[in-house]
Amino acid sequence: MDAKYTLELANADDAPYALAASPAFARDGVCFAACGSGLYRSQNGGASWELLRASAEAVTTAVAVSPAYAEDRSVFAAVKGGILRSSDGGERWFTAGFPAPPPVFSSLIVSPDFERDGCLLAGALEDGVFSSTDRGARWQPWNFGLFDLNTLCLALSPKWTEDETAYAGTETGLYRSTNGGRAWRHSGFPSELAPALSLACFEDGRDGSSRLLVGTENSGLLASGDHGETWEQVGEDVISEAVNQLHVAHDAKGGHSLYVLTNDGVIHSDDEGRSWSDLVRVDGIPTAMLPLCGLMLLGVQGKGVMRLPRD
Amino acid sequence: MSEEKPFPVQKTYRPGVIFPPQVQQNIAAGINKLVAAIRPTLGPTPRTVAVSRLDDIGKTPEVLDSGGIIARKVIEMSQRDEDIGAMLARALICTQHERMGDGSATAAVLLQAIYNSGVHYLAAGGNAMRLRHYLERALASALEGLDELTAPVSGKDKLAQVAEAICHDRPLAKLLGEIFDIIGAFGQLDVRKDHSRILRREYIEGAFWNSGLVSRDMIVNQKELQTVYEAPAIVIADFQVNDPRHIMPMLELAVEQKVERLLLIVGELSGDAIAGLMMANGKLKNFQVMAVRGPGMNPDDRAAAVEDLAIVTGGLPLLKVMGQNLRDIGRENFGGARRAWASPHNFGIIGGKGDPRQLRRHVSNLQAQYLREDDADRRDKLRARIGKLMGGSATLWIGGLSESEIEARKSSAEATADALRAAVRDGVLPGGGLSYLKCRGRLASKLNGAADPDERAAYRILHDALAEPARAIYENAGYEPGEILARIMQAGNRHGFDVLNGGFTNNDSLLDGAAIQKMALKNAVMTAGMALTIDVLVHHKTPDIARSPG
Repeated sequence: MDAKYTLELANADDAPYALAASPAFARDGVCFAACGSGLYRSQNGGASWELLRASAEAVTTAVAVSPAYAEDRSVFAAVKGGILRSSDGGERWFTAGFPAPPPVFSSLIVSPDFERDGCLLAGALEDGVFSSTDRGARWQPWNFGLFDLNTLCLALSPKWTEDETAYAGTETGLYRSTNGGRAWRHSGFPSELAPALSLACFEDGRDGSSRLLVGTENSGLLASGDHGETWEQVGEDVISEAVNQLHVAHDAKGGHSLYVLTNDGVIHSDDEGRSWSDLVRVDGIPTAMLPLCGLMLLGVQGKGVMRLPRD
Repeated sequence: MSEEKPFPVQKTYRPGVIFPPQVQQNIAAGINKLVAAIRPTLGPTPRTVAVSRLDDIGKTPEVLDSGGIIARKVIEMSQRDEDIGAMLARALICTQHERMGDGSATAAVLLQAIYNSGVHYLAAGGNAMRLRHYLERALASALEGLDELTAPVSGKDKLAQVAEAICHDRPLAKLLGEIFDIIGAFGQLDVRKDHSRILRREYIEGAFWNSGLVSRDMIVNQKELQTVYEAPAIVIADFQVNDPRHIMPMLELAVEQKVERLLLIVGELSGDAIAGLMMANGKLKNFQVMAVRGPGMNPDDRAAAVEDLAIVTGGLPLLKVMGQNLRDIGRENFGGARRAWASPHNFGIIGGKGDPRQLRRHVSNLQAQYLREDDADRRDKLRARIGKLMGGSATLWIGGLSESEIEARKSSAEATADALRAAVRDGVLPGGGLSYLKCRGRLASKLNGAADPDERAAYRILHDALAEPARAIYENAGYEPGEILARIMQAGNRHGFDVLNGGFTNNDSLLDGAAIQKMALKNAVMTAGMALTIDVLVHHKTPDIARSPG
C-alpha cells in the first residue's frame, strides 16, 4: 500500500482520537478527524484537511456523523466539557454545556434512526453515559445501574429502532441497556477480562442474529451471540495485545469483514474471525482507523492521518 | 333537625364455648360477609364500597375500591362467631395488601371459595386435618403450574400494562412503567404530593441520604439552600466530634494533599468544632469544607450507611468501635466523588470514587440478603440501601384537583409501585384470572390419579376455587361468567377475556405480577386450611377490638 500522511500533526503529543465519514463518502468524500489539536474536515476523501474554527485549540476526543448526513449535514464533536454540534457540515457550531467538573468524552454515537429519534449517546471517562434526544441540544446523564462511570466505549444494537439496546464498555466490565441508554445492567462479560476498550455490534446478514464484539486491553477479542451473556475468544492466535478499535464492514452477500486496530496496526478477517491477516503495520502508535470504500484512513499518534488506498 | 348519634360503646359479652356444626357455619358466615364487601373491587372495573366513618358520625362515608383498605376499615362483626371468620379473612387480605400492594381481593375470593367447599366436604364426613394436608399438596402443584407460566417483564410499555392492571389509572401506569423500566426492581422511588394538577416525574443523578448540613452557615447557594462541591475529597466518621482541635489534623492533611473541597460526614459536631470548620473556610486559600450529619436513626442504620458511603466514595471510614477519632486520620481515609451537594436536610454524592467492582459485589450481596430476608421492615431498609447505590433515583410527583384526589392517587401509586417492583423482580403471569384457570389442568390430572377421598376432595376444591377470581372479574364488569368460562375452557385456556374491551384476547395483553398471584393463592390456601381445622370456639367476656391484622 502506498501510505501517505495527508493530515500532519505538528505536536508529538497530539493524536487523531477518532475518525468519521459521511455515509455518502463515496459520493461526497466528506470525513472528519478528531485530534488533540482540534477537529479537522476533509471534503475530498481525506486527500487534504482543514482545521475547523469552532474546535481550534480544543482537544477533540470523539466525532460522529449523522446517518442522514446527506440531508441534515449534522456532525457532532466532543471536546473537554462539552459537545459541539453543527447542522451545516461543520461550518457553524453550537455548544451543549455539561455540569462541572468538565467531562472528558471517550465516545460519541448517533442513533441509526437519528432522523426520526434525534438520539445520541456520549461516553465519558469519569461521568458515565450522557444521552440527548433532541439532536444534541441538551444532554442528560443516565447512569442508573452503571456502577463503573469510566466509560471507554459505546455501541448500539443494529436493531436499535426496535430493541433500543446499547452497550457500554468500562474499566471493569461491560454494561447493557435495553431502554435507549437510560438504565444499565451488568452483562455476563467476565470482569477479569476488562477493561473493554472497544465495541462493535452488528447483525449477521445470514441469520439475522446480533453479534457483539469486545476488544480488551490484555485479553484480546471476544465475541458474544447472546447479547453479552456468554463469550468466546476470537483470533486468539493473532490478537494478543490491546484492541483499541473495532470496525465491521458488511459485504453484499451478507457476510462481514472485521477490522481490529492494535498497537501495531490493523488486522483484518474476511471469514468472521476464523483467519486473520495483517492489513497495515505502521511505525508509531495507531490511534484510530476508518475503513472506507477503496481506502483506509489511519490515525497515528504524533504524526497525523494516513490515507491508504485499498484494492 | 337530625338526632346526633352517640359514639359506639364497646359491648360486653358473655363467655361461651361453641361446637360444630355452628363453628364452621358461623366462621363461613363471617368470611362470606367480609369477602362480599371485597369481591366487587376485583378486576379492572372495580365497583366501589362505601364505608361509614368511625370517628366522623353524620359525615359522608368513604368510597373505596381497594380490597386491602376496605378490610382495614372493618374492625368488628356484630356476631362473635362470625367475627372470628371475618378477622381470619381480614388478616389474609391486609397481609396481602401490605406485602404486595395488590391481590387482596383475589386472595379473599379464593379463601371464600376454598373454605365454603371445604365446609361442605367436612359436613359430608371428611377429615379436616387430612383435607388441610392434601390442600397444601394441591397448592404445591398449582404453584408449580404458575411457575411454569411465569415470564420476565421488561420495557416501559409492558410494565405500564402491568401497572394499569393494578391501579386502573392509565396516565399513572404509563409513568410508573417508564420509571420502573429505568430504576428496576431495587431502584429508589419517592412518591410525593405536588401542588400542580398533573402527574410528573423527576430523575435524580447519584445517591442521596436524608441527612443534612450541621450548620446553615455552610450553605453557599442561599437561593437554592444548598452547597455543591466539584471533585470533593470525602471523610467519613461515625462518632461525635466535640473538640475543635481534633479537626486540625484532617484540615492539615487535606491541604497537604491539595484538596480544594472537603465534605465531612460525621456522627455529630459540637458548636466549637463547627466554628473551627467555618474558620478554615474563611482563612485557608482555595479550600472549602462542609460537614453533614451521618445518616441513620439508630446504630444499625448508621453502620449500614457508613458502610455504603465508604464503598461509594472509596474512603476508609473512621470508626468509634475501632477507638478512632479525627486525629487518627490518614490518606486512606480520604474518599472522593465527581460532585457532592448538601442542603439542611439532605446530602448527595455523584460519581463516587470507590472501586466499581467492590460496589457491584456489595450491591449483589445486599440483593441476596434482601431475597433471604422475611422481615418487612428489614427488607424495606435493604431495598432503600440498594436503591441508593444504583446511581440515581426517581421522584413521582402526584398532582390533582383536590387534596383527597391527590391523597387517593398517591396511595394508589405507592401500592402499584410495590406491586410493580415485585413484577420486575419475579416476573408476570397471564392476567384477568387466566393464570389460575391455566394451572387447573395440572390439578385435574392429579385428581384423576388420586384414590384417597380426602385427597380427591382437596384437588377438586382447589380446582374449582381457581376459577373464582376470573368469575368475579367477569361479574364485576357486568358479564355472565358461565358462558365466558366455558368458551375459555373450550379454547384450552389459551385466551383470556378482556373485560375492558369485551373480547377474547391473547395472553400477552393482560398481565399480573407473578409474586402477587402466587402469594394470594398460597396465603388463601393456608388460611382456609387452618380455618377448616377449627373445631371449637371459646369466647372471653370482652373481646379486644381488632387493631391490626394477624
